[in-house]
Amino acid sequence: MQDDYSSLWGYRLKWLYTLLVVFTLMAPVFYVMYISFNENGFGARDYVFTLDWYVVIFSDLLLLESFLNTLVLATITVVVVVPMGLVAAKHYKITRYPLAVVSLMLSPLFVPADILGSALLVFFKNLNKTFTLLGESFSVNWFDNWFDLGYFSAIVGLIIYTLPYVFVVILITMARYKDQQTEAARSCGATAWQAFWHVEFPQIRAGIFSACSFTIILTFNEYTRTSLLKGGYDTFTSVLVSQMLNEGMSEQSYAMSAMVSYIAIAIIGSIILLTLVRSERLEQVARAKADPMGAT
Amino acid sequence: MGESPGGLGKSGLTNPVSTSPKNKNEGRGGRNPASSLFVRYPRLGDTAGKILFAVPVAFMCLFFALPLALTYVWSFFERTMFWMKPGFTLFSYHNFFTSARLENFLASMGHSSISVIVAFIFGFPIAVFIRRRIPQVAQHRVILLFILPFAVSEIIRIFALRPFLQRNGLVNNILLELGVISEPITAILYTPMGVIIGEVLSFLPFIVFAGFLAMEAVPKYVFEICEDLGASQYRVFVDVILPLAAPGIFAGSVFIFVNGLGVALLPNILGGPGAVNAGLIATQAITALDFPLAMAVNAIMMTTLLGLLYIGHKLFDLTKILSPMS
Repeated sequence: MQDDYSSLWGYRLKWLYTLLVVFTLMAPVFYVMYISFNENGFGARDYVFTLDWYVVIFSDLLLLESFLNTLVLATITVVVVVPMGLVAAKHYKITRYPLAVVSLMLSPLFVPADILGSALLVFFKNLNKTFTLLGESFSVNWFDNWFDLGYFSAIVGLIIYTLPYVFVVILITMARYKDQQTEAARSCGATAWQAFWHVEFPQIRAGIFSACSFTIILTFNEYTRTSLLKGGYDTFTSVLVSQMLNEGMSEQSYAMSAMVSYIAIAIIGSIILLTLVRSERLEQVARAKADPMGAT
Repeated sequence: MGESPGGLGKSGLTNPVSTSPKNKNEGRGGRNPASSLFVRYPRLGDTAGKILFAVPVAFMCLFFALPLALTYVWSFFERTMFWMKPGFTLFSYHNFFTSARLENFLASMGHSSISVIVAFIFGFPIAVFIRRRIPQVAQHRVILLFILPFAVSEIIRIFALRPFLQRNGLVNNILLELGVISEPITAILYTPMGVIIGEVLSFLPFIVFAGFLAMEAVPKYVFEICEDLGASQYRVFVDVILPLAAPGIFAGSVFIFVNGLGVALLPNILGGPGAVNAGLIATQAITALDFPLAMAVNAIMMTTLLGLLYIGHKLFDLTKILSPMS
C-alpha cells in the first residue's frame, strides 16, 4: 500500500472491483434469499414479505430427518478426517518423500466429483462381490455386505473429498510452528504426547478448529459423491435436489436453500471472525515477544 | 481393510507415546495404563508411530489411487444386463469414440477452455492486486472473502442461477427495465453460454487462490525494480509476473478445466439438450447400468488430467507451488 499513494483512486477502484466480484459470486444466493421472503413465490408480480415458508420447513419431517442424517455423516467425517489430516501433515514434515505424500494428499482436488464418485461406486460394488464370493468359498456369510453402499461408502467418499482441504489448512498453520519448541520440550523431559498437547497443539488449534468447521460445511454442501455412494434421497442436498428436479422449485425449496445458506454463512462468518481475532492476539503476543522493549 | 475408517483413525490416535525422540507426536493416549508397556518395549512405540504415519497414505492409496487405477481395467470389461464381467473388449471405447459422446466431450473441452480464460481474466488481477497492494498482514483476510461463496452449497449456487438468468429472471428484468434490451435474452440459460457462466461463477475463487499462492514466487521488490527501471505495466505483467507465477496459474487453470469437464451438475442444471460433459456422460452411463462405459469415460478423463499435469510439470515444474507450504 505504501507504494501506491500516487493513485489513491486506482487503489480504491481495485478494491471496489474485488468486492464487486465477491458480490457477483454471492448474487444468486442473495436472490434466492430475496425470493424466499415473497409470499407469492418466484416470478410473481407482487412482492409481499412473509416468513411463512420458513415455518413450513420446520413442520417438514422429511427435511428435518435429512438434516439429522447429514449431521451424522458430517460428525463421523470430522472425527476421522481431522486427525488423519493432522497425521498426514506431520508425516509430510518428516518423510523422506514429501513430494509423494503431498501429491497423494492433494490430487483428489483435481478429480471431479462425478469421476471419483463413479469410480468408488464400482470399486465398492466389486469389493462387495469379491467378499461375498470369499465367504461362499468358506461357506460362511460373515463377509457379506461389508461394502454395501451406505454410510460407510459415503463417508469414505467424503473423507477423500475433505482430506486435501484439512491437510492444507493444518499444514499452513503448522508452517508457523517451530520444531525447535518440541525439541526443547522433549529435552526438558516432556513425553512426545506432552510436547504435542501442551506446546504444539495450542499453537495450531486455530487451524484444527477451522479444519473441523470447513469439513462440516463441505459435507453439508456435498451432493454428487454422497448421492452416488449412499443413494436414496435422505441427505440435505439430495432432498433439495429431488425437490428441485421433481416438483419444480416450490416456495419451500427457496426458503430451504436460503436457510442452508444462512447457517453456512453464519458458520463461515464466525470462523473468519474467530480466526481473525485469534491471529490478531497471537500476532500481538508474537510481536511483544520479538520486541520486548516496545521499540518499533 | 475390513475396518471402518473411523476405526482406522481412532486406533491411530490412541497409540501411546513413544520414547524415541524421532517420533514426536504420534500419540494421544500418553497417560493410559498401556504406556508402561511402551516404556518396557521402546521399539514398540517406534513401530506404532510408523504405522500411524502410514495410515493416511494407505487410506488414500486404497480408496483413491486404487479405484482410479482400476477404472482402466474395468473399462475393458464386458457389459452384462445389470453389471459387468471380466473380459477384454474395446466396445466401451468404440461406443464413446463413434457416437455423439465424442462430439459432446470435445465441445465441453472448448467450453471449459473458455471458462478458464474468462476466470483468469477476471480472477487473476485480484490475486496480483492482493499481493501487491494489500499489506502483508491483511492479505489472508481478503483471500478469506473468496471462501464465503463456498459457505453455500454448489447446488444452491448453480441452481440459483436459473431464476437469475432465465427468461423472466432478474438479469433480464433489470435489463428490460433499463431499456438496454427490448426482448428478454434467452441465450444465457440452457445453452453452452449458461454452462460457461456457471463454470466461471463456481470456479473463479480457485484462480484467485492459485494465483495468490503463485504470486508468492514474485517478491515485492521485483515490482520496485521494474518500476525503477521504467518498465510498463504490460511488460511487468508479461515478462515478470507471468513467467514467475506460471506454475500456480497452470495448476489453477487445470483445476478449472478438469472440473468444467467433470462436474455433471453444471450442464445438467444450466445447459440445454446439447450441453453434455464427461461427468454427465459417466453419470448417465451409471444410471443406464452401463458400467464399462462409465469407467471408459473416467479413464479418458484421468488420462486427460494426467497428460495435462505431465505437460505442466515438464514446462513449469509444478513442485514450485508447494514451496510456501514447507
